Amino acid sequence: MPRSYEEEEEDVLKSEKGAKVFRRLVRQILSHRRDSAYLIIAVVVTAIAGTLYPLALGLAINGVINRNFTDLYIFGSAFLGFYIIQFFSNRIRTISSTGVAQKTIKELRDRAFENVQRVPVSFFGKVKTGYLISRITNDAETLSEFLTFQIPQVVSGISTVIVSISIMFYLDFNLTLYALIVIPLLSGFTVSIQRMVRRNYLRTRRTIAAITGNLAENISGIRAIKSFNVEDRMATRFDGLNNDNFEANLKAARLSSIYGAIIRVIEATGIAIVLIAGAQQLLAGAISVGILVSFVVYVQEFFDPVTQLSQLYNSYQSSMVGITRIYGIIDSTPDEGAKAGNKKVESFSGSIKFNNVSFYYGDSPALKDINIEIKKGEKIGIVGHTGAGKTTFSNLLLKFYNPTSGSIFIDGVDLKTIDTNTYRHLIAPVLQEPFMFRGSIIENIKTFFPEATDEMIIDKAKQFGLYPLFENLESGLNSEIGEMGRNLSEGQRQAISILRAFIRDPEILIMDEPTSQIDPYSEKLIISSLNSFLKGKTLILITHRFSMISLVDRVISFENGEKVEEGTFSELLNSNGVFRKMYNIQYNTGA
Amino acid sequence: MNNPINLRRRIHNIIAVLYPLYFGSKYLKGKRWVLYSVISISIITSATRLLIPVLIGDAVSSIQSLNFATLEYFAILILIVSAVSGFFQFFVNYGSQYISQLYAYGMRKNIFDHLMKKKFLFFETQTSGDLLSRSTMDVDATRNFIMNTTNQLLPTLFMILFSVVFLFILDPIYSLIFIVTVPALILTGVVFQRKQRLHWRKIRTYYGDMNEELQENIVGNRVVRGFSIEDEEIKKFSSTTNSYFDEYMDVARLRGFYNNLMPLTISIAATAILLYGGYTSIINASQVGNLVAAVNIFSIMTFPISFLGRLIVFSENARAGIQRINVVLSDEMQEDIQGPNRTKHSGDLEIKNVSFQRGKRYIFRGVNLKIPQGEIVCITGKTASGKSSFVNLIPRFYEPTSGIISIGGRDISQISLSELRRTVALVPQEITLLSGTIMDNITLSDTTLSTEAVVKAARIADIGDFVDSLPEKYNTRVGERGITLSGGQRQRVAIARAIVAEPKILILDDATSSVDPETELEILKKVKEEMSGTTVLIVTHRDSAIKFADRVLRLQNGSVEEIFDITSDLKGITDGYTFNNGGDSNAA
Repeated sequence: MPRSYEEEEEDVLKSEKGAKVFRRLVRQILSHRRDSAYLIIAVVVTAIAGTLYPLALGLAINGVINRNFTDLYIFGSAFLGFYIIQFFSNRIRTISSTGVAQKTIKELRDRAFENVQRVPVSFFGKVKTGYLISRITNDAETLSEFLTFQIPQVVSGISTVIVSISIMFYLDFNLTLYALIVIPLLSGFTVSIQRMVRRNYLRTRRTIAAITGNLAENISGIRAIKSFNVEDRMATRFDGLNNDNFEANLKAARLSSIYGAIIRVIEATGIAIVLIAGAQQLLAGAISVGILVSFVVYVQEFFDPVTQLSQLYNSYQSSMVGITRIYGIIDSTPDEGAKAGNKKVESFSGSIKFNNVSFYYGDSPALKDINIEIKKGEKIGIVGHTGAGKTTFSNLLLKFYNPTSGSIFIDGVDLKTIDTNTYRHLIAPVLQEPFMFRGSIIENIKTFFPEATDEMIIDKAKQFGLYPLFENLESGLNSEIGEMGRNLSEGQRQAISILRAFIRDPEILIMDEPTSQIDPYSEKLIISSLNSFLKGKTLILITHRFSMISLVDRVISFENGEKVEEGTFSELLNSNGVFRKMYNIQYNTGA
Repeated sequence: MNNPINLRRRIHNIIAVLYPLYFGSKYLKGKRWVLYSVISISIITSATRLLIPVLIGDAVSSIQSLNFATLEYFAILILIVSAVSGFFQFFVNYGSQYISQLYAYGMRKNIFDHLMKKKFLFFETQTSGDLLSRSTMDVDATRNFIMNTTNQLLPTLFMILFSVVFLFILDPIYSLIFIVTVPALILTGVVFQRKQRLHWRKIRTYYGDMNEELQENIVGNRVVRGFSIEDEEIKKFSSTTNSYFDEYMDVARLRGFYNNLMPLTISIAATAILLYGGYTSIINASQVGNLVAAVNIFSIMTFPISFLGRLIVFSENARAGIQRINVVLSDEMQEDIQGPNRTKHSGDLEIKNVSFQRGKRYIFRGVNLKIPQGEIVCITGKTASGKSSFVNLIPRFYEPTSGIISIGGRDISQISLSELRRTVALVPQEITLLSGTIMDNITLSDTTLSTEAVVKAARIADIGDFVDSLPEKYNTRVGERGITLSGGQRQRVAIARAIVAEPKILILDDATSSVDPETELEILKKVKEEMSGTTVLIVTHRDSAIKFADRVLRLQNGSVEEIFDITSDLKGITDGYTFNNGGDSNAA
């Protein structure tokens, strides 16, 4: 279960974890050497040019006072010169900071996506789809502002402060001390309200997360809401959350507005101090009027980096939470099976053997001590009630999971040691929940078989009796299937899933309730076309309905994770077991 | 620019930047005065902010002439003016936040209300992610712009005006130099805006693609693995992130040039003033105060003006957002839900000459049917024969293309939706439970329902035993922060939810597809026993339900035919299930 946003945020911010994650991020940023080098140089050059122009201004003013045209022209041009330098360095800064930021973000997304392909299937049972998507898209996006603007701003702010203080000390030591009087005031004030800022900020984040969550739920549950006329109640609930967010934002706004106003007064205090103390220094002959003007500009320029630092904190917080989660996805353990197995298999010639195989979901057993042997070319039916372990059996066979104990042997080789990729090339699954990609039906098939042609796909659909199922669609197999295949009926989705598996023409066909949503008439058509297709192939058919049992040679029944029966159809029907009971219920003959 | 139409369009483009503010102001209801106050107050803050450089200039003049009495006077004046400016700045900042948050609040509420009123078809034409981003990100884009307009853009524009005035007072030539830069700045902004528009559009598209690819990949993780197309998927995703990256870099290159061109333009003007002012000061032997003030005004203006570039981007985003929000806010595809509550009609159902088409294709045509109250009717038919569309017409989730459906003798198009849906409960195949407890979910229709009623409904839906086995029973939380129920369990909760609402017509639209056959039979048996008087429509393609039905209908080739002799037809259907090795004869 994903933890709440606030829990995660607190966790990241209170512990050392935040700092550690930040260091990792910095390392990643710096790994883009060229861009980060350009960025640092550009930022520093900009900062230096930015701190030198007030000096040029002061000296030009001195030139005016001393009626020296040469000084005015030289320093006046220098004044513009520093701006021109800034123009170029800022240009490089803009491009390289976007480069660094977007490269880092792309890298994070790609790596996260790549790891999502490598994690075990069980990972998806623990983490919600929406959570994963939002981490890889939204959270990565929040980094953009932080990396593109905030981080360069910090570097620039620090360089500006260092360079300008040095210049000021060089110009006049005493006046610099006066000018710096407001700095402790400014930073003390900023730091002291940080706690409140953070609390307010957390509240705004939490309340907006609640709004998003509620909205998502209402959109996905719209059918139930409409069916039961509860639109008004849902609206009231939403309004409550919406209002919480409004209040939280106003509270945060009040604080930041007070902050902004007070900062302005502190700034004015600084200027007044410099003017009065500057006048004394001027009288003492320590400085000129021009230098005093420079000081006034310097004091004004201190305030930008400091006020920006206070914004940085919010951006830092949300970025750290976001990046911690993305790193969490990148660091998720990859599929052990895929990693461990390196034996490549090219064909299947002997048998599949389950040797004392057990599987546990957490503490609860799903399969217990299963021993089964399936020879090449055999057609096996796996039957049993819901929860008997049938789907777990197919998951193990597809190597979605590895057995908790015991082993599965393919042609005598332990499946754990086989390279997952080559193994899966021998198999075609028809899974219980048929999944569709975007695009037309034909495009969907082509996602899996890029080399397939339209004609070939249509031929195959006709060959396997699947074609009539799509005849009622406006453009047949060229129809768009919509988001998650919702323009199609369940049965049509299953038909695509079946077609996909048949086109693969596998050695081993694993079908999990392949026709549960297809009507008996169409199903019959499919079954009759299958006989020739299955020649020489190994079939493992999982079902709790009996419609396709005619295809199999041997039936195995499962109950509560155990294999309870094995035999031909008639054998099992004559014995008084699960199979017979299930059969009777479904055909209402003596139940 | 010499073409008047062209000029008008250009001016229009410039004004359009402010459109989101106008759009947003419509959602401030009684609080529009706050907006006007903020704008008025920002005139004061802009003036006071610019007054400070002027005072600094005066102070410098005092220093230059060694007049310390006036220096102290100006120093104190700087403090006072700053305090006044700060005081009013508070109202501008807080007021902008207030307005923008009020807008966000009102707009979200508005969107939510509209969403609740939309027809089903609307949700089928929009992806849920899209709807979600409209209500969150797009609203936020507008909010962001409104906030930045009232506390940055408008004050900056006022400051530009005041700069002209103050500079004029200092020296008319200063003012002239400044005025010359303004069109240059605006032109830069407009060109920048035009050049980056297409890139932002593409960025948003790629972002959407990224979302969709992720969603598909994650939901389809088993298929991806089963067919080992992981590497192709990685390549596909990486190419999308690459396009996204490229667009961002294009924007960065534009921004690098145009955004920095603005401060450069200002500093060129500042230098011109410095040189011109310095020259005249030397010639006239006048005080440098005015010159210092003028240069200071320019340096104060640099930051707000360079920020204008970002504001143009904000406006772009906001306007794109508003376009998408308007799709939700339009009156199209709205349902009319109003009507008296509590009324339920009888369960007599009559369908007269009803046709239904999707796009140009007829799903069925001219269907006539009468189902008296209390009858149990099974609707079968091939995959995608339109069974589900057919029953969805009854609670008016879809509207028939032609024909009349009446309940209790009344045309349902004349009954309010709230009445109709109180009378008809439809349980679909795919169930989303709302977050909350199991109890919350079952009592969705009416929170005042008694526990006994809930327990009874749960028993009929065969979910009671399961709920009792949970440690917290009916108070067990489900959904995002609770336990995950299996498809079959969700379906059973949904059936209980429908039963407890005591509808006159209960429609099970393949509502037991994930429940195993034995349990399915149990549920149907109990529904038949305990809900007599309720009209029940069961959509299924399985034979097991058929034996509970009083009548069986089959949808085929766009029409409904009734199967009168159930037993003989059952035989026909079950033929599909029989076995080559002669299973039938083995039945006891």
